[in-house]
Amino acid sequence: MKENMRTHKIIVTITFLYLFIPLLATFLYSLSTTWNKTILPEGLTLKWFVDLYNDPRFIDALWRTIQLTGGTMIVSILIMVPAIFAITVYAPKYEKWLQTIVLFPYAMPGVVAAVGLLSIYSKSGIPMVIVLAGSYFVLILPFMYQGVRNSLRTVNAKTLVEAAELLGASRSTAFWKVIVPNITPGIMVSSLLSFSVLFGEFVLANILVGGSFETIQIYLYRRLRESGHLSSAIVVSYFLLLLVLSWIMVRFSRRGTLKLKKKEPIV
Amino acid sequence: MSFLTINNLSLAFGEVNVLKELSLSIEEGELVTLLGPSGCGKSTLLRSIAGLVDPDNGSIVIDDKEVISMNPKDREVGMVFQSYALFPNLTVEDNIAFGLRMKKLNKTEIEKKVKSMIDLVGLNGKERSYPRELSGGQQQRAALARALVVEPKVLLLDEPLSALDAQIRARLQNQIRDIQQKLGITMVFVTHDQEEAMAISDRIFLMNNGEIAQSGSPVEIYTRPNSEFVARFMGHYNVLHADELQQIVGFDAGFQGSLFGIRPEAFTETNIHGDGIEVTGEVQKVSLLGNVVRYQLKTGTQHFSAEHLHRSQEYTKSGDVKTLYLSKEDVIPLT
Repeated sequence: MKENMRTHKIIVTITFLYLFIPLLATFLYSLSTTWNKTILPEGLTLKWFVDLYNDPRFIDALWRTIQLTGGTMIVSILIMVPAIFAITVYAPKYEKWLQTIVLFPYAMPGVVAAVGLLSIYSKSGIPMVIVLAGSYFVLILPFMYQGVRNSLRTVNAKTLVEAAELLGASRSTAFWKVIVPNITPGIMVSSLLSFSVLFGEFVLANILVGGSFETIQIYLYRRLRESGHLSSAIVVSYFLLLLVLSWIMVRFSRRGTLKLKKKEPIV
Repeated sequence: MSFLTINNLSLAFGEVNVLKELSLSIEEGELVTLLGPSGCGKSTLLRSIAGLVDPDNGSIVIDDKEVISMNPKDREVGMVFQSYALFPNLTVEDNIAFGLRMKKLNKTEIEKKVKSMIDLVGLNGKERSYPRELSGGQQQRAALARALVVEPKVLLLDEPLSALDAQIRARLQNQIRDIQQKLGITMVFVTHDQEEAMAISDRIFLMNNGEIAQSGSPVEIYTRPNSEFVARFMGHYNVLHADELQQIVGFDAGFQGSLFGIRPEAFTETNIHGDGIEVTGEVQKVSLLGNVVRYQLKTGTQHFSAEHLHRSQEYTKSGDVKTLYLSKEDVIPLT
């Protein structure tokens, strides 16, 4: 048993180091003056971060990304949550269609999708940013669908709606008063997951809008060639942001499971 | 005039006929049980009354009103679910108040009604608790209160006690029966447990394959089963063909029919009324089932079982030859 535990610990440590060393190196690189011929950086500086946060183009790119992904998220929640609810509770026989539709993003490589979208929509007069948002909507379907459907199943949405209807609630009241409050943690987790996916999306953004609507990934790609230290600073900032998002996500999902696992008191 | 009347109700899911032209009627203030094995259609019948499934044909009349085409919320029926279905985001109090808020009652009236319901089901001190903080029994009492507080014409209970352990179950059976008598409410209780059905019902509708196999008071159904299915479902009846019965009771008994049921406790060790048929068998096995002792006996090649209450000194053991007495009216012809 003890032998076993040691093996486990060694494996975990190695995995952790494997994942963590590149990040640590990136972090150090973003803080170093120069780091060429030595094992450790020759000097430490916050210059790259100061540079980065003082670059109006960085702030603009960040703001654009937040607007684009945030907007897509809101539209996705407003459309997908009622749709998934209606299908799982009232029309389960159509669920297999929904399951097929949400797999579309996996069926098509990003570059192919982007080129296709570009050739169809570039002459249509629809702003390419809207087309990008639309393709993002499709891209996050699997995450939204899985998350929302699982929460609906966990809270036993069908029975809850039946109970509410028998107590005199209309279908929409039942949805807003009973279902939405109970699946909010699930919606939050799906949204944050989708948000981090979209935040890191480069292929579609670069081909569809490129420099005309510079998102954070396009900005990162452009600055990569200028200075390694600066792009390290971007990566570190980006990583910290995702860390915060993941932490919030874990908090939300843990709140969901704690509810279920809590020990039942005696009568 | 009956309070709840169901006429020729039919429902098929694809090829399967779940309800077959089923009719029944229930009086006001009655507690009836829909009893049957799983898949017999009892829950579907209950959900049809609630309006949660749409039957293909037939009518459902509650208090002189045809409800078949009404939405669940307009039918004035309440329902208690096996899984409780309490709203996890609301406290006990708010769960109970939900239906009253939907009816747009004023605040003081809601408070008063919720309070009296909490007293009735004995959840005092738990008003501010969330469902997840309650035990199964408490959750089901909260669900009962939530369904009762809106004063439905009929309360439907869909296997409400199946998820609870035996002790709490027995206690809640009594509590439900007490509340039903106190409020004089009409209840339809679905269960697959014949003991539960006999313990609480005024009448039992025993269902099989989407039809009513037999209906009547618990005593009628238990002592006068009309078919093999009912006899086997309601107890540990000995179900015997005419020739098998002859082996046990002798050739001169003169029973009419081809299939018979005999309750195991109908065999007695003394000839109480003096007119009992003498039955002699070799004891194969003696088993103690709590307060009841069951013997497996054998007469000729025919096996049967007999039961009596447990007593502090048990004289019978395997291999004994035992003489028992059986009243003629306890041999029940079955179809």
